[in-house]
Amino acid sequence: MSYYFTIFSPTDTPLFTHEFGTSRSSGDGIAHFSPTDRHLAPFILHSALDILEEVQWGPSSTAGSAPMYLKHIDKYANNYVSCWITGANVRFLLLTRPRDEVLGQGGGLGGQRGSLAGGRLGVGGGGGVYRPDAPATEEAVKNFFVDVYESWVKTVMNPFFHAGNGDVVKSPVFRARVAAAAKKYL
Amino acid sequence: MTPIQDATPKPPKHPADLDTSIELPKQRESPASSLASLPYRGSNPSLHKLFESTASTSISRPSSGTATPTSVVPGSAFSPGSRKSGTGTPGSLPPGVSDEHRTLIQQAYAPHVVVVADNDTEELIRGKGLDGGLLQLLRPFGESLSGKVTIRDSVGASKSYEDFGVRFVGMNEVLGRPPASESAPMRPRPVGGDVAHVEELVDRHLQYSEFNAQGSVPDYLNQGEPAAQESGRSPFYTLYLRRLLSGLPMVPHETFAHPVVGVIATSSRSATPVEELRDLYNRQHQGDLRVPQWVDGLFLRYYVFIHEEETGDIAKSNTTFDAMKRHFGLNCHLLRLKGQQCISSDDDAVRLPTCEWLSASEELAEIQKQESADEFTDPAPYIPDSDVTAIRTFVRELVAQSMIPHMERNIHQWNEQILARRRGLSGRFMSLSKRWTTFGSSRSSSASTITSSNSNYDSAGGFYRPDAPEALMRRLADYCFMLRDTKLALSTYEILCTDYNNDKAWQHYAGAAEMAALSALLSPAALTTKIRTEKIDEWIRSATYSYTDRQRSATPFYALRTLALSLELLRLRGTSATDDAARWGSRILEMNLVGPIGTALITERISACFSIRPGIGVLKLGSRRRKAAFWAVLAAQEWWRQNKALQAEKCLDAALHLYGARIESSEGGPVRLPFDEMQHFVDELRQKILGLRLANRGLGEDDEVGETQQSMLVEEATETLDASPRAHRKSLAGPSAPNIDTGPLSPTLERMPEKDDLFEGAV
Repeated sequence: MSYYFTIFSPTDTPLFTHEFGTSRSSGDGIAHFSPTDRHLAPFILHSALDILEEVQWGPSSTAGSAPMYLKHIDKYANNYVSCWITGANVRFLLLTRPRDEVLGQGGGLGGQRGSLAGGRLGVGGGGGVYRPDAPATEEAVKNFFVDVYESWVKTVMNPFFHAGNGDVVKSPVFRARVAAAAKKYL
Repeated sequence: MTPIQDATPKPPKHPADLDTSIELPKQRESPASSLASLPYRGSNPSLHKLFESTASTSISRPSSGTATPTSVVPGSAFSPGSRKSGTGTPGSLPPGVSDEHRTLIQQAYAPHVVVVADNDTEELIRGKGLDGGLLQLLRPFGESLSGKVTIRDSVGASKSYEDFGVRFVGMNEVLGRPPASESAPMRPRPVGGDVAHVEELVDRHLQYSEFNAQGSVPDYLNQGEPAAQESGRSPFYTLYLRRLLSGLPMVPHETFAHPVVGVIATSSRSATPVEELRDLYNRQHQGDLRVPQWVDGLFLRYYVFIHEEETGDIAKSNTTFDAMKRHFGLNCHLLRLKGQQCISSDDDAVRLPTCEWLSASEELAEIQKQESADEFTDPAPYIPDSDVTAIRTFVRELVAQSMIPHMERNIHQWNEQILARRRGLSGRFMSLSKRWTTFGSSRSSSASTITSSNSNYDSAGGFYRPDAPEALMRRLADYCFMLRDTKLALSTYEILCTDYNNDKAWQHYAGAAEMAALSALLSPAALTTKIRTEKIDEWIRSATYSYTDRQRSATPFYALRTLALSLELLRLRGTSATDDAARWGSRILEMNLVGPIGTALITERISACFSIRPGIGVLKLGSRRRKAAFWAVLAAQEWWRQNKALQAEKCLDAALHLYGARIESSEGGPVRLPFDEMQHFVDELRQKILGLRLANRGLGEDDEVGETQQSMLVEEATETLDASPRAHRKSLAGPSAPNIDTGPLSPTLERMPEKDDLFEGAV
């Protein structure tokens, strides 16, 4: 299970990019994208912004206020995209690339050994096939986003940082916190 | 004209060569080897004519979008007519979208007319220089009738169509056996349905455009801006679709290729014409020309007497014709043709038109034949002008006065006798009782031919007898579809879906579901999102599934057809239907239904689907630009893998245009993609494409340059370009670019000034 996390400014500029793998159940926390997937990941995330806007301005699924967590919104081949949107229209996009076994292609029983956001609790679909809309997966991704959001708010409150001007986030502390959240939940 | 095939006994062996060049895109020598086997003749006029369908600039037809409705979609937040943002007036078609593929699909499903003639007649036609006999003479004229054809639909309303056509087929295709082989040993079967052939053919067209881009063929690069408003109209994709739909095979589960009319011909050379006709009829009825048992053998017969102007006696012919009319009724025609061979320099000689609906294997064979033939000779036969007029009149009379009334009559009859019963209360009860008890059939024995078994489906053979109600209903629906009465066709297909489903006739079920989806999408009525998502999507899904996975022998061709046509028709519906179209497109790729060329074409098409979706307001909210751009990049990559530099270039330019539209305005400079990685990837891809392009050009220019030198040149070019990818892009898009082919220059020499440009201008 590999992840590719990007924060987009309201003008579609990527402010922060972090790439990691799952740390659950014998995961080493390093992304294992195939070269093709790796190259396409930014393209996929960027193209998902179209769908994001659609969901963002579309009819709300929950009563009351619009949710910040938009859940799983888009997919290309085996890459799933989940989204969190902040009040300032900054978009967090997380691309999930399950391992081939979890997709039912390897034919193995790997689903059980997947990360929390993947097979282990998302077995509702049977056979351990990765389901982006399984409750456990959604919950794990949400927790990750909540943690990242908290650090993000702290970062942008820094008066020396102008997120609106498209400043790329360089803070090592922020990166460490994202990594920690990733390790904790994904 | 002498048969030219004799000179080329070699079978079509190009795929092997192509494969090598496709699989190894990095090795420069592989295109060379494939080219070496490919006779390069940029100036062969007849060859160019063959490639015309894709080589000619597709002139934007005024889209007659009146028939295509806009769906009122409440599902999408940004589509016009939505609940929340109900602004925007729905136009008939999204801007920049042409109706081209819709008409293509309608024309593709045309009634088939089977042609047989006695030996004397075939001899006569062959004497005119047509090896294919009467069939070859008639075939081009059936494809587009002169003048309008008026069709009455099931409710009695008449409608005229300009582009109605029929397909003339030979008896051999109907019987599905190899043609009688004395005359033409290598004659390909004019039956399509083979994706591999289609791929190969389109690949030949692509290669032609690739290597002749600087010649008489208009350069794709200079064909206009690779802009979004062009909305990805690729002649190659059109060709792909057309060939996919050409020569529909004869199968039990759909009756489009089943003959509607049979033409039986004899001529004034025959001593006993009436006997000849009768003999041919008998052979068709019970002899060696009998159709398979799942085809209704009682189609309409049309008797033609060909009078040869030079040798025949018109008075005698007239009396024979009168005798024919007495014997066979009104479905007769006297066709007056000249028996002499005509050459192109004759006064009133007319080139026999080329068939538009050749099957892929036929066209491949044709290309092969002409490439190995002499230059500057046009092997197409010429016929006198008077013949053309006579044949046109004949075909028109056949269609307008015999075939269409016959089909209308059948539709009416079946509609009343079978469909109405089936639809009514007793029909429902019948189908229920048929399903649950075996005794129920006794009470309905008067209504239909059901007697003892509770299913008419012959599961061993996989067909229904042609007189079974299910088979008749299928023919009714197909007739309606061919006569473009989509409403009745749709309702019939819907009923058929449930019937076939109950009988577990999966292939039939898939066919009915496919056609139900197509007729619903073709019909001019507006579709609500509910219908679209609940019914049409379901039909498409189950058709694809049943065509491939549900049965023992998968038929991926039909699954591909279903998905590709649905994609086109959904795309025309605009707004949120384009998302569905793109989704089905990616389904094609996921299911591996297409080969490498098809993958690239479909990828390009998905990009086109996304790009036509208009956004709302200044910010273009709800548009799919980024998606379109992404898929265009994918397509460019895919084309590059196939060594198709021009196509790759085109896609990449389209992608950058799509990416740039939002960003360029604020910065003014060259487009920077949001991610550095994206930028890097695109630049790298562009360089690779350029290297490929130069190599292709170089090989096209001077064949004697050694392969090692070639690769050296390419290397040099890429190295120089490393510094300035952006500048190079600009220079290519500009009008001055393709001076690469002015001579056998080294690419380095050319690149130098451009590099200078960069330092002065862009930095």
